[in-house]
Amino acid sequence: MWENIIDNPTGWKKLIIFVILLLAWIAGFSSRLFAVIRFESIIHEFDPWFNYRATAYMVEHGFYKFLNWFDERAWYPLGRIVGGTVYPGLMITSGSIHYILHSLNIPIHIRDICVFLAPVFSGFTSIATYFLTKELWSEGAGLFAACFIAIVPGYISRSVAGSYDNEGIAIFALQFTYYLWVKSVSTGSVLWSTLTALSYFYMVSAWGGYVFITNLIPLHVFVLLLMGRYSHRLFVSYTVFYILGLVMSMQIPFVGFQPIRTSEHMAALGVFALMIIVAALKYISSKITKAEFTFLFKLGMVVAATTVFLIVVILTYSGVVAPWSGRFYSLWDTTYAKIHIPIIASVSEHQPTTWFSFFFDLHMLVSMFPVGLWYCLKDLTDTRVFVVLYVISAVYFAGVMVRLMLTLTPVVCVLSGIAFSLIFDCHMKEEDTICKEIDAEIEKKKTVEKVKSSRKSRSSDIQRNDANIDSLGVNFKCIVIVSAVLILMLFAAHCTWVTSNAYSSPSIVLASHSSDGSRQILDDFREAYFWLSRNTDSNARIMSWWDYGYQIAGMANRTTLVDNNTWNNSHIALVGKAMASTESEAYNIMTSLDVDYVLIIFGGVIGYSGDDINKFLWMVRIAEGEHPKDIREGDYFTERGEFRVDSEGSPVLLNCLMYKLSYYNFGELKLDFRSPPGYDRTRNAVIGNKNFQLTYLEEAYTTEHWLVRIYRVKKPEEFNRPRVPVSNRKISIPHTFVSKKTANKKKGLIRDKPVKRKVQTMNS
Amino acid sequence: MDRVADQLGSLVVYLDGSVLSAEEISKKTLVLVDNFLIKETHSIFFKSLKDRGHILTFKSADDSTLTLFKYGELLYQNVILFSPKVEEFGGKISKKMILDFIDEGGNVLLATGSKPGVVLREIAVECGVEVDTPGSSQLGSLVIDHFNYDISDPSHTLIAVDAVNLIDASIIVGSRNVSPMLYKGIGLLVNNSNPLVLKLLSGYSTSYSFDPFANMDKSPNVMGKDTTLIAGVQTRNNARIVFSGSLDFFSNEAFISSVFKINDKEYPKSSNAEVSINLSKWVFKEIGVISVKSVFHYKLNERKTPMDYTITDMAVFEMELQQKIDDVWKPFSVKDLQLEFVRIDPFIRTNIPLVAEGKYKVIFKIPDVYGVFKFLVDYKRVGYTSVFNSTQVSVRPLKHTEYERFIQSAYPYYVGAFSMMVGVFLFSFVFLHADLDKDKAD
Repeated sequence: MWENIIDNPTGWKKLIIFVILLLAWIAGFSSRLFAVIRFESIIHEFDPWFNYRATAYMVEHGFYKFLNWFDERAWYPLGRIVGGTVYPGLMITSGSIHYILHSLNIPIHIRDICVFLAPVFSGFTSIATYFLTKELWSEGAGLFAACFIAIVPGYISRSVAGSYDNEGIAIFALQFTYYLWVKSVSTGSVLWSTLTALSYFYMVSAWGGYVFITNLIPLHVFVLLLMGRYSHRLFVSYTVFYILGLVMSMQIPFVGFQPIRTSEHMAALGVFALMIIVAALKYISSKITKAEFTFLFKLGMVVAATTVFLIVVILTYSGVVAPWSGRFYSLWDTTYAKIHIPIIASVSEHQPTTWFSFFFDLHMLVSMFPVGLWYCLKDLTDTRVFVVLYVISAVYFAGVMVRLMLTLTPVVCVLSGIAFSLIFDCHMKEEDTICKEIDAEIEKKKTVEKVKSSRKSRSSDIQRNDANIDSLGVNFKCIVIVSAVLILMLFAAHCTWVTSNAYSSPSIVLASHSSDGSRQILDDFREAYFWLSRNTDSNARIMSWWDYGYQIAGMANRTTLVDNNTWNNSHIALVGKAMASTESEAYNIMTSLDVDYVLIIFGGVIGYSGDDINKFLWMVRIAEGEHPKDIREGDYFTERGEFRVDSEGSPVLLNCLMYKLSYYNFGELKLDFRSPPGYDRTRNAVIGNKNFQLTYLEEAYTTEHWLVRIYRVKKPEEFNRPRVPVSNRKISIPHTFVSKKTANKKKGLIRDKPVKRKVQTMNS
Repeated sequence: MDRVADQLGSLVVYLDGSVLSAEEISKKTLVLVDNFLIKETHSIFFKSLKDRGHILTFKSADDSTLTLFKYGELLYQNVILFSPKVEEFGGKISKKMILDFIDEGGNVLLATGSKPGVVLREIAVECGVEVDTPGSSQLGSLVIDHFNYDISDPSHTLIAVDAVNLIDASIIVGSRNVSPMLYKGIGLLVNNSNPLVLKLLSGYSTSYSFDPFANMDKSPNVMGKDTTLIAGVQTRNNARIVFSGSLDFFSNEAFISSVFKINDKEYPKSSNAEVSINLSKWVFKEIGVISVKSVFHYKLNERKTPMDYTITDMAVFEMELQQKIDDVWKPFSVKDLQLEFVRIDPFIRTNIPLVAEGKYKVIFKIPDVYGVFKFLVDYKRVGYTSVFNSTQVSVRPLKHTEYERFIQSAYPYYVGAFSMMVGVFLFSFVFLHADLDKDKAD
């Protein structure tokens, strides 16, 4: 009996696969824990704070309350319908985990579920990647791909513990949908395409990036049709997927009618129509002669394509179909956002990718994936067409936007997995066994190909060429294998280093190293938010730049004017205008918006470069977009076009609210012995406007390292008496009188006061 | 318990053991004089105050024990500064303390003479009123009018001012249909762009303020229609201040003397007494004090203030206003009260009709816009304390269950869906039971 088990090679294989996947999961999970170990179990950055707050709300109040949640504490005084403006997949996922654990009597706090959700899902992602790669190539390639995706920095950047964001679960949904799609294309079964649609539904509920799927799958189908690879399998899988996916995606309130009304989704509809036409033509072709059919086919294709295109164009112009949204335009034209939508361009993750970040995020995978791509192209099947299209589109998008590096990473892992699997396949096998096996494989493949399609397979020649490699010497093989292993080790080391150094900072707690190497924690953000939550009225309205909206709402639980859900450009522009105006003009805006406190981030003391002064030009640009008469970007530069905060800076800049709030009382601060007072470490300059007072605001709180400064906006009642300003006085008051009073108990002075004189009596 | 706390709150316990109720404090008045003779020369004015219940404390302006606060609380509600010659107050009182006193809600009646001290002028300027410079001469500056003087005065500095020069607000100055007033004092200047400062008594276009014995070697600071004789301020916290350029305006002599204005008939008695007493009633907040008694808003037919409103709800806003008359709160009824429903801009601005004595009620439809709104009542009328009431409410969009279930325009889709279901059902029968082999056989 035991011998049987030991001898059973499939059993061993399965066990090894299982163990490797488990280890990949554990490795991926552990390497994402740097942030928790170094700092604490805390939600990171900006958007995760909203997701966390929404999840906590859902857990507390139930799903329907969440669906109907009108958040009056955000976007004051407009409010935000959270249920209708959010992808609820993330909240539902962690909410259900919370529910299940609690029904099993495991009392875990929702915050911990949120913190560890992304690392846990990274394990699912590697499993999904394994299946996808297995479907495309082989189990070995799948294992490589699963291990790569588990630790690759490009994915870790969005899924470290505490980074509770949509992408954390969406990449899993993406990979899983693609796996199911590939499976359904290769099987042509309704079951698999229904599962694809279900997985797509989960993806839609989780991330706006689902648009990538709705365009990539139709593209795949379209290319297959062009290649003449139409089959009933394709017809079944696409039509079932499209209709079910469409209906289900429209159930998400935030998506609503977009799938039938916006340009981004039109390709899928067009391909669906094309598919039906092609199927009809195929049916006709079985009834008529070949010559007639070719003519009909070409005509039909042209007519169908032009009709669909024209309909889309007409609908777009008539307004039924919304034109492409700005974010998508910026995908085609990288300068579009900078000119037209500064609010999109202002986000650093929407900038074009620099070349080194490809290496930084993918390391050697970036050079290995073309190998996998080459092999896929050499031996093309329906499913491999998909991965080719996937990688081509993903590379393009990753080049346009840093953020979309995330969609490139999985496919790069898949292709590199294939490449490495091939290298090891070719160089590790004993010579005679290889030949046999490969021959057997080729035979098998040939028969499969023959069954699959009537087209002649060219693969046999290629495979024979591959087999030639095996005739290489043992030494050469050894060198190749050793170097490949070394590269893999370097990759693992690089991944760990990047994760630990670049992607594991919660960004609300900063760490710095002092000269003796000890670590210093700068906890100014939480200090400020805690101050707000303890010292301000619970309905106090806090104005800050939109980056900090979610954090203020999440940590201080106060009303904010704008936040990271940048849905209302004009409201943000109003805040930008207030920041860019003089104090008195800003006061008018602030009173009309009922602002109680202003919160700004100032990095001049510790040299923190992500502060508000460095973001200030974006505020000006966004404000200029809405108020071109009042705010002009050029006013904030010097004559030579420089943005300077020192005495040569433009006077408009030196007197605007943001400048004054950042540098209030900073002119007297001497940071160390070498630098003069008022020396800004971030911009390496001595500030230009030092001694000024605030009229309409007063400093309420400044954190330990001056990172966050909070000001209270004075209420109109505080300007109680209508003082005549000195400049408006018509009658001057001389200041000739010098008080002789030294203590409060002294007598005053009355002019010409009748003085009591002692009456001199005659008798004396 | 609450009641006890309320009572404690309304009492202020002093160290010396005397206990005063809030009402008594509101009547406590400190009179600062530079010469105790004023007590006699202005006795009619002081007597009228005493008759109305004011507790007057006379002190010399240079008294070394003077103070207005004790443990951060006001010691007096009102201060009368009848000390034009003071250069520096005694004790703790200073310009800053008087301004703090105003900012804490205390009322001030300030009268100067022809040669006001710098400290008084600085207090005035901090409240939006400029007092003319006294010049260098012994006499100081006086308002001179060669067309509107009392004939008893050859220097034309005793001005006979007609009652039409009073501000058109009977709540402050009483009737404007009275005999002229006598005024001998310095001119004041008020910035017209300042909405809080009122010209209670203004001069003529022929008036100017200058040293009557000096050479006219420069243009007067205060002249023409700008000449203000008495100015009043109601600050944003509803404290009231009256500045008079003349201390004599309140004197017994002015109260009882007759007026013979040039080019006019003789009046047996000036109306200084009536105007002064009305002014003092206003400045010490005996009249013109209104406040909100209650605010209540609810959805129509619910009688309960909701957590939030839904768009297009019918909202009811009720408000009660009251007015203080003879220290008793009575209902206050006007016809021009307005309600605004504001989200940055007012979406609704409507009159609130009077439904009963002092009670206002309006029913309106909430606009089809969601967000955080405010019920805003901002009632500002000359002479009355300002009423500002802002109640924040959320207006939320429809819930997912509140939309219409079946809408007419969707009937084609319903028909489509149901016909599809029926069709598939029928087709399945055809598919299962039809004899397809028959075709194949062919």
